[in-house]
Amino acid sequence: MAADTVASRRSGTAATAAPLAVFRGVLRSRRRSLLLWSLAVAAVTAVYVSFYPAMGEEADLASFVANLPEGMVEVMGYDQIGTPGGYLNSTVFGILGPALLLVFAIGWGSRTIAGSEEDGILELEATHPVSRAHVYLDRLLAMWVGVALLAAVVFAVAMLLLVALDVDLAASRLAAGTVGLLLLALAMGTIALATGAATGRRGLALATAAGLAVVSFVADAMGGLVDGLAWLTTVSPWSWYLGGDPLIDGFDVPGLALLATLTVLAALAGLARYRQRDLGV
Amino acid sequence: MNDVAIRVDGLVKDYVTGPPWRRSQAVRALQGVDLAVDRGEVFGFLGPNGAGKSTTIRVLLDLLRPTAGHVEMIGGRPAEVGPALRARIGYLPGELNMAGQRTAGEELRYLATLRGGRGTDRIAELAERFTLDLDRPIRGLSKGNKQKVGVIQAFMHRPELLILDEPTSGLDPLLQREFLDLVREAQADGATVFMSSHVLSEVEDVAGRVAIIRAGRIVDTDDVRTLRHHAGQLVELRFAAPVDVEEFRVLPGVEDVVADGDALTCLLRGEPDALLKTAARHHVLQWSAQDRELEDLFIDFYRLPVDDTLIASEEVAAHGR
Ligand SMILES: Nc1ncnc2c1ncn2[C@@H]1O[C@H](COP(=O)(O)OP(=O)(O)OP(=O)(O)O)[C@@H](O)[C@H]1O
Ligand SMILES: [Mg+2]
Repeated sequence: MAADTVASRRSGTAATAAPLAVFRGVLRSRRRSLLLWSLAVAAVTAVYVSFYPAMGEEADLASFVANLPEGMVEVMGYDQIGTPGGYLNSTVFGILGPALLLVFAIGWGSRTIAGSEEDGILELEATHPVSRAHVYLDRLLAMWVGVALLAAVVFAVAMLLLVALDVDLAASRLAAGTVGLLLLALAMGTIALATGAATGRRGLALATAAGLAVVSFVADAMGGLVDGLAWLTTVSPWSWYLGGDPLIDGFDVPGLALLATLTVLAALAGLARYRQRDLGV
Repeated sequence: MNDVAIRVDGLVKDYVTGPPWRRSQAVRALQGVDLAVDRGEVFGFLGPNGAGKSTTIRVLLDLLRPTAGHVEMIGGRPAEVGPALRARIGYLPGELNMAGQRTAGEELRYLATLRGGRGTDRIAELAERFTLDLDRPIRGLSKGNKQKVGVIQAFMHRPELLILDEPTSGLDPLLQREFLDLVREAQADGATVFMSSHVLSEVEDVAGRVAIIRAGRIVDTDDVRTLRHHAGQLVELRFAAPVDVEEFRVLPGVEDVVADGDALTCLLRGEPDALLKTAARHHVLQWSAQDRELEDLFIDFYRLPVDDTLIASEEVAAHGR
């Protein structure tokens, strides 16, 4: 008799989550944070780019660089600093840009699953009619879109100012640098998200991705300085990003392909584990 | 199968804690739990802290994967059917946490989108019933107000099966009554309700049957009415002279015999015949028999020594019949 009542009153077809429902929810609640980050990244890019003409004119830069130790010059990429590409290579794209995007991506990646799980707020979502893969992929996609937005801001602001200040740098060079920056941040952010999804531990996710980012930066620098350690630049994601000097020489396809592969592999490994394990323990 | 809403057979769950290189120590939270909840019934799931209620429930929701045993619910196994099964369930977590920045209304509408929009139309009505302000951010809500959000999201899409982990915690008596009304309405609609609690009194009014879990094992499953019978009577006797306790201790249906001078108290389950006849051999000055509260019985179950749980529960049941 109960079954009859159920059929009469409760409609038979059970409704599951629409595609991208979680994705939309995440982006909605991140609106404000995304806006603030975009402003910060825009400001940093704008300050650096608008300094270029001033520095170029006074030619102080060249003498400043000439007085630096040779190793330092190479690590920072200052040997090309006189050209627009070289200047951007060692400023916006060399340190502060990647630092900001990596902090953003790794922070988001470690928080979105592991952080939510530790705070207990993932439980309601996970017990709704949405599969684990759906939750994982939606949250991954949301993070990717967030990082892509920041990379787009870097590109747009830099391009705008380069044109406004009449600096001679091809858009394709700027695009090459931006795509590299994007993929580096995506790779590290995805590693954070995947580690967090695989373990449920936010701190571990944060430490793994941040540690890897720092190690690859150091490996890139060491590989460039010490002859015997040149092999480091072939394994360092940082070298995959900047080793080919994208702002001077354009797209470094093998490097970008390696970063993309790293991103996809990390995403798949995290997903495989996330679907298997106990949540919230 | 069709008339069973939840069937759990020999469910064992180990919590493996610590880093991977020290994975040897596991906590066995469930030691072989058996449950059968029929469709359309309100079923109480009772037990003390740490007994394994939430663990069992979280296996039902596929948050945890069983170490051993089987779980079958309306329409299949949690891990196999996944979202399609959870679409027919409303769940209220035992420890409810929600992101703070959303308002109560935004949270509820978001959760409804995860059900393809089901339940959105009932949010306003239920919020009014539970006097919940939908425009306040979750962060600023009191524990009881958060619990209202939890109750509403569990009921709003009119699920076939409600799984509620300590649903009334944090609710004041008025709202507890409102909640119990909601449970009765759901049952009248043909829904099955499985709800956990520490105390019988919270589920007594609505539940037909209850299972009592202790240290990861079900120690009793019964009608609330039968449980009431099991509770038995507290008998107090006063004699003209001190009596031998052993004489009473061996009597059928008599337990917990305590003698204090010429007074004797015991717990009587079933017929009083043997007790009366034995007492009549002495000079009885005073006699009183009092129905025990159901809570007392409940406390008995909670106090059973861990290792003897199975045997002891059989004893309790045997005495009652
Ligand atoms: N994440 C975990 N890791 C290790 N052990 C756990 C974990 N969660 C629960 N336990 C253990 O499993 C046992 C059962 O816990 P559970 O939360 O199911 O109890 P409960 O009946 O819901 O208790 P309460 O009434 O306090 O909510 C307890 O001994 C607890 O210590
Ligand atoms: Mg619990």
